[in-house]
Amino acid sequence: MTADGIALLVILLGVLSAFAFVLRLLVRSLKLGKPEDRFDRWGERIWSVIVYVGAQARVLTQLAGLGHFIIFYGFVFISLGTFEHIGGMISPGFSYASIFGAKIAGMISWVQDVLGLLVLGAIIVSLFRRFVLKPLRLQIDDPKAKKEAVFILCLIFVLILLMFGMKGAGILMDPPKVDRAYAPVSAVVAGLIDGKADPHILERVFAWIHHVIIFYFLIFIPFSKHIHILGAVPNIFFRNLGPGGTLSRMDFEDESAEKFGNSEVRDFTWKQLLDLYACTECGRCQAVCPAYLTEKPLSPFRVIHMMRGHFVGDRQKLLEGGEEAEATPIIGKTVTEDEIWACTTCGACMQECPPFIEHVQKIVDMRRYLVMTESSFPHEMQPVFRNMEVNYNPWSMGFSTRADWAEGLDVPVAAEKQEFDVLFWVGCSGSFDTSGQSVARAMVEILKRAEVDFAILGVEEMCCGETARRMGNEYLAQTLIEANIENLNKYRFNRILTTCPHGFNTFSVEYPQFGYEKTVVHHSQFLLELAAAGKLAGTGNGSKGVYHDSCYLGRYNGIIDEPRELIKRSGAGELAEFGRRGKRSFCCGAGGGRMWMEETIGKRINEERVDEALALGVDTIYTACPFCMTMFEDGLKARDKEEEVKVKDIAEIF
Amino acid sequence: MKIIVLLKRVPDSEAKILINKEGTGIREDGVKFVINTYDEYAIEEGLLMKEKVGGDSKVTVVCMGPDEATEAIRTALAMGADDAVHIADDSLSNPGPFTTATIMAKAIGDEEFDIIFCGKQAIDDDMAQVHCILAEMLDIPQVSVAIAFELSDDTTKATVSRRIEGGDEKIDTSLPVIVSCDKGLNDPRYASLPGIMKAKKKEIRKKSLADLGFSEIPGGGRSRILKWLPLPKGGECRMVEAEETPDAVRELVRLLREEAKVI
Repeated sequence: MTADGIALLVILLGVLSAFAFVLRLLVRSLKLGKPEDRFDRWGERIWSVIVYVGAQARVLTQLAGLGHFIIFYGFVFISLGTFEHIGGMISPGFSYASIFGAKIAGMISWVQDVLGLLVLGAIIVSLFRRFVLKPLRLQIDDPKAKKEAVFILCLIFVLILLMFGMKGAGILMDPPKVDRAYAPVSAVVAGLIDGKADPHILERVFAWIHHVIIFYFLIFIPFSKHIHILGAVPNIFFRNLGPGGTLSRMDFEDESAEKFGNSEVRDFTWKQLLDLYACTECGRCQAVCPAYLTEKPLSPFRVIHMMRGHFVGDRQKLLEGGEEAEATPIIGKTVTEDEIWACTTCGACMQECPPFIEHVQKIVDMRRYLVMTESSFPHEMQPVFRNMEVNYNPWSMGFSTRADWAEGLDVPVAAEKQEFDVLFWVGCSGSFDTSGQSVARAMVEILKRAEVDFAILGVEEMCCGETARRMGNEYLAQTLIEANIENLNKYRFNRILTTCPHGFNTFSVEYPQFGYEKTVVHHSQFLLELAAAGKLAGTGNGSKGVYHDSCYLGRYNGIIDEPRELIKRSGAGELAEFGRRGKRSFCCGAGGGRMWMEETIGKRINEERVDEALALGVDTIYTACPFCMTMFEDGLKARDKEEEVKVKDIAEIF
Repeated sequence: MKIIVLLKRVPDSEAKILINKEGTGIREDGVKFVINTYDEYAIEEGLLMKEKVGGDSKVTVVCMGPDEATEAIRTALAMGADDAVHIADDSLSNPGPFTTATIMAKAIGDEEFDIIFCGKQAIDDDMAQVHCILAEMLDIPQVSVAIAFELSDDTTKATVSRRIEGGDEKIDTSLPVIVSCDKGLNDPRYASLPGIMKAKKKEIRKKSLADLGFSEIPGGGRSRILKWLPLPKGGECRMVEAEETPDAVRELVRLLREEAKVI
């Protein structure tokens, strides 16, 4: 072993033990979080890693992702080279050629060269994007974030140059350490440095600088945004494989509890903390966030970035101090209340996130703390909670008037019928909101015409709890959910039919948390069934329309084609499409309880969406969600277009 | 500082109110009962004063009502009140304000207090009398319809503002005092969940008329409710429309003369 081989080995061992120490710190810090079971469905989890790490499926949904793809695979192959080189320095004679043969080693070398060149290109493009193009998704008000990103890009750039230097010098060595035939780019570099200095010395100098930077990188990674190299892979492995639109169920058994919801690091689960280590700061989440795009203080990117900073700052203290250690509150400075309340829970951020960070649950967890522990929330929410508690609907309408909309329509009621095929869940909007009532009446007419054996719960129906849950009032939500389950269990029927995607989602994926499982069908699916069976005939509608995907129908539940098919079958004219549609639809602004909150900061989300529709030159906006409907109606009024453009639910076109 | 808050359980303002067959009260099926809206301001003001003065300050809720009023009392306790006196007696139904005040005066007389807060009126019968009668019976000053309440630093006096036509009236009062509260005095808080959990264990002292030393319903001879009657059905409204106002007036006069036969 040569002298520098020994020196390198000593340094390497030091660096590796430091790295192991850091890894241990990271794992221990995750254990500060609460338990969460993410250890099921191993096959799917491994497959996720193959698709989303190996094939970078989500990264590549944008062209800029190609840069990441190149840097990622550059990193993998160049690391192979680094490993080989370090191995060779420590144990002379170690090389891939001696193990796998010249051919395979040559191929690895060739790929390194090509990828190295591509990485240089990708970095130049990345820097160009950061300094010249400045895309929306890379904007953040923390100057440290940008500095760090640029520093790392430059570091990688230098590393690649050094690699070419090493390999170029290797080609010139006697005997050559690198085969010129398998190193097209390094061969060019060799030509440039040929005769300038002793290639043997040059190779060693480049190698030492290169390896020291790599070592530095290894220790620096866990303390920078590049921790995502360590965090993203396990985060993808442990990703939520269940339905995206489910919030965790809270346990209220402990009556002596002084705190509900999350306000500090230890309130989150280990997986939620791992999310923070997984963020690549790509900012795709903020570029699709309806709150961010309408100048609200919320950016999902910023929330995760700030929370990670907070976590990193607090973890040592919490680890040393044990359970008694006083944690720093997250709500206030790290994440402000305005940010927490600006979220529509639309899930666009989670749809985009390459390492599958779950933003919405965290925001709702903090809402839970604010509502249930601190009673601190926008003042207009209090009457909403009160109405839900007293009259089981968010509007201030007496609960005994819930079925008044059905007067004179001869709508069968569950209490009288006892057994039937379909339970039509009218919902609060269908029961009380003028537009919603007209949808409910249209549905009843269709159901009767198609001779469906159905009933409504009538005054027994209560708010499904979805809104209260997303507003952070889990206690109220569970009260409503349990009361509804008790009523639903009184009757025999096969399916629940809803016209509201929020009810649809909560019955499908949240009621099972409370032991209630029933087939749930959204009216877009149900009406399509009727149409396919020839029980529904279209009457012809507006000349040019556009369908708006509700978040809880399209993004969260993948019901995208059914409403469109239905609109076509209704005899509607041309159907335009929004640029942002399907799983990538843009929220109307009403989700997450925002329907009942004032929108005082920035632009209005619904007007933003209405402008998008108006730009398409449509005369009809089709919706399949009562909240979206209200938001569009209001947006059209604000633009003084309510006469020219009509909003129609898909039940109102037959 | 010892604070008493008077509380009444009333039908929710959104409830459909129907008179029962006998005309002795309202039909309670399909009706949700809540804390009287104005009493919420009273509870909140009591809690604010308790928080301000600190020490061994205490808020006690005094409620007269049926057994079911416990729910409303628990809500007040969840908001932060410390304990409660619940006067419930099967013989009490629709007591008049004098009766209520007499019984409450007895119950309150057994408690220590510096301030009594109550709603300016109950939203069901809108009598707005109990606190006035109570002030007389307890022989303490009363300020009604308060929109601001300021306690002096030495907690012996208070300045109360009340909204009157064209301005505010400020009244200095000594303690103890009874103050009836109006909207605008404060923003009643939403009970936190730990508050709700704790409220389940707080003490509610239940008292019957006998416990308070009454052998019969007091004050019954002063006024009695004879019968509850539904509102007479209103007539139909017809809009007179015309392009020019004078035409509309002419048509209206014609209708009043020929159809309604009133002019």
